Amino acid sequence: MKDIIQIKDISFNYSGQPLLFDHLSLNIHEGEWTALIGQNGSGKSTLARLIDGLIVLKSGQIVVDDLTVNDQNIFDVRSKIGMVFQNPEDQFVGATVEDDVAFGLENRRVPRDRMHEIVEKSLKDVGMWEFRDRIPANLSGGQKQRVAIAGIVALSPKIIILDEATSMLDPRGRQDILNLVARIKAANNLTVISITHDIDEAAHADQVVVVNKGEIIEENKPENIFGETAKLQSLGLSAPFTAQLIAALKQHGIDPNSQYMNDERLIAWIKKFVSQK
Amino acid sequence: MDKEIRFSKVTHTYQAKTPFAQNALDNVSLTIPAGSFTAIIGHTGSGKSTLVQHINALLKPTSGSIDIFGRTITPNTTNKNLKELRQHVGMVFQFPEKQLFEESVIKDIMFGPKNYGASETEAKSAAVEAMRLVGLDESLEDHSPFDLSGGQMRRVAIAGVLAMKPEVLILDEPTAGLDPRGHKEIMDLAEYLHDQNDMTIILVTHQMDDVIDYASDVVVMDQGEIVKHGRPEEIFAAPKWVYKMHLDLPSSAEFAMKLMDAGVKLTKTPLTIDDLAAEIAKIAGGEGPKE
Repeated sequence: MKDIIQIKDISFNYSGQPLLFDHLSLNIHEGEWTALIGQNGSGKSTLARLIDGLIVLKSGQIVVDDLTVNDQNIFDVRSKIGMVFQNPEDQFVGATVEDDVAFGLENRRVPRDRMHEIVEKSLKDVGMWEFRDRIPANLSGGQKQRVAIAGIVALSPKIIILDEATSMLDPRGRQDILNLVARIKAANNLTVISITHDIDEAAHADQVVVVNKGEIIEENKPENIFGETAKLQSLGLSAPFTAQLIAALKQHGIDPNSQYMNDERLIAWIKKFVSQK
Repeated sequence: MDKEIRFSKVTHTYQAKTPFAQNALDNVSLTIPAGSFTAIIGHTGSGKSTLVQHINALLKPTSGSIDIFGRTITPNTTNKNLKELRQHVGMVFQFPEKQLFEESVIKDIMFGPKNYGASETEAKSAAVEAMRLVGLDESLEDHSPFDLSGGQMRRVAIAGVLAMKPEVLILDEPTAGLDPRGHKEIMDLAEYLHDQNDMTIILVTHQMDDVIDYASDVVVMDQGEIVKHGRPEEIFAAPKWVYKMHLDLPSSAEFAMKLMDAGVKLTKTPLTIDDLAAEIAKIAGGEGPKE
């Protein structure tokens, strides 16, 4: 599998501050969903900004889909990446939902009729076509994120980066957005990087990268990381609900012989367990 | 002084006397007991924020009245003489760190007490005490609040409210956007203020696990009305009704619903992880809890 993003031996610090990244390397596999988890201030969002060339490396190299991130390639690199931020209000420019989605296309001088087609399809993809004439500011948090995602889908990037994109939403709104991204990812064969401190969001990932104080301390599949309840807590994160339930079941003398299972597997296991008794 | 908060038939109409008139509160009667930890829940637009803004008279009722700290707030209440009430009722808005403005942490926290007439020395000692309460190290006193992390900035903002030594603290979604550690710190602070300082805590939230873990009293709002008021276990006893209100269940109840959908027959709706594990052990006829 191709490494669509290669982070090679990078170092970075904000001016006047100590090194945040000191010779850090990481590869992101094409077509996978990678979750970068860690508490506030761990360096997750900085990494995303370096990948998108919003800030500049001190040393090392980042390659995005065979292009080195540098001044010369910056626009080509950015055309491959769509970023969804924590607060969608920070990224709205259009007077209406439709204008907002069209903005990126206008920037790329997409012909007018083609533009209308793309905007319509993108808004339909995220379930916001009926809201096309609304003012973005008057939408709910979840609806705003849908519009932001439509704006990205319209530009057909290869990579979507969710930077704490669901942290302002209520639990239901969060789940809706994650399901939407999963659907869009599958339909367009995208690579997704989600930067989050929500462990349940990370459960959607194929690969989880744990970041703490600018260092990558673990890279593994969710099931190999989520069972380590104590370690997650020591990093300021919480364990997924199912891992907490397994720990509680053990207190009651029931041992599923595993530290972590996702919802479906744990439900199937419990069903079998109670029916055997 | 009577510290109970009483809403009597309160209606609040936004844009009254226009074609856009909309009742954000509709004939609400409610008593919040002194010293309670009350959660206000309801989906977006149900009237939660409008309700709590009446408690310190940021909003006045269109009809009806609110009794609090010996004051009666009516449609005719003017903004004069509300200082004392607002000192008793502290309000932490959503994303309160957006309201920080002073050049240093200590000055920002002192602003409230000084504004209410405290001397420099009084304000300083109140601010130092508030910093201690929210767990901000005194070495941060002279830092710019804008150089702090998101979680720390939020604590500075909350300290600014606590420095006025309120007896009622209203928290509107106080943990939105914080990581799990920051979330727990803020919620544990609310619990501490409630248990140790006898504060009445009024928490507006979408997080049902917090309702279970911290609140003893729950008010459910829908379309400007109070549709249920009771203990958490009473509110969540009917999961279908909770869904109808467009609300979530606590994680354990949510998981229990999935188990039941899969054909596992539970005898009650568990609200905590331990309840859920005990219930599974019970229906499996498994061993009791290990000592």
